[in-house]
Amino acid sequence: MESATVALGHDHAEEHHGPPEANQSSRIDKQVLGIFLFIVSEIMLFGAFFASYFFLRVVVDPASWPPDPYELPVSIAGINTAILVSSSFTIHYALESIRRGNKQGLKLGLVLTWMLGATFLFIQINEYVHLGFSARDLAFGSIFYGLTGLHGAHVFVGLMLLSFASIRAFRGHFGPKAEDHLGVEVPGIYWHFVDVMWIIVYVTVYIL
Amino acid sequence: MKISEEAVFRWVLIVGAAAVSIIALTLLTRPLVGAIWGLALVIAASVHAYRWLRDLRAKDAAKD
Repeated sequence: MESATVALGHDHAEEHHGPPEANQSSRIDKQVLGIFLFIVSEIMLFGAFFASYFFLRVVVDPASWPPDPYELPVSIAGINTAILVSSSFTIHYALESIRRGNKQGLKLGLVLTWMLGATFLFIQINEYVHLGFSARDLAFGSIFYGLTGLHGAHVFVGLMLLSFASIRAFRGHFGPKAEDHLGVEVPGIYWHFVDVMWIIVYVTVYIL
Repeated sequence: MKISEEAVFRWVLIVGAAAVSIIALTLLTRPLVGAIWGLALVIAASVHAYRWLRDLRAKDAAKD
């Protein structure tokens, strides 16, 4: 009896060699969960910038906003907003295409999204050149460039992710199954976040 | 709970529609009115999100 118990214990030890496997949620892929946690941290970062903006705008309460003689190009930024929002539709089209097995649609959607994102960034840099004030000009200039520049940096990172996804798409790395196109899904979620953030930045900084 | 690009894209559309309503109200009235409407939308969205999460947790608890 004792020897049998010892033998069983020995077998048990051999079966469970090494540390236990990490818990994996059945509800969400670990890559998708990772990008969501990253986005939550990004929301907090943007939240800090928005808190500074509203402090300067509401608590400090200057006589005019933007302070004279500065003006913001609302209509050009509005066109830029439309460009960025349309890029969310194209990345969604890319993902819908690969879900249906349409690899040409995936490539077209990714390239269009990249071009729209690059156009947005180009127009924003052009806007900076012609604004007539810099980040050194009053707290208004600092927070304006801080908020829009932070967002611009995110667009740049998004373009990098889209570049990698596009290269992989042209090499035929993606397929219709969910686990075969995570390399597009994750940058797609990030791109939508960048898009939503810009809508909030545009409404807050340029409209209100 | 299925979180995917599709679900996030739906949020882009919702935030976009909310932004259009804030812009329209601001241009038709005053920035303060648009800001109050925006704040009301944020509060409504927070309440909706809280209820959605509560129901989701209740469903998950019932499954377990």
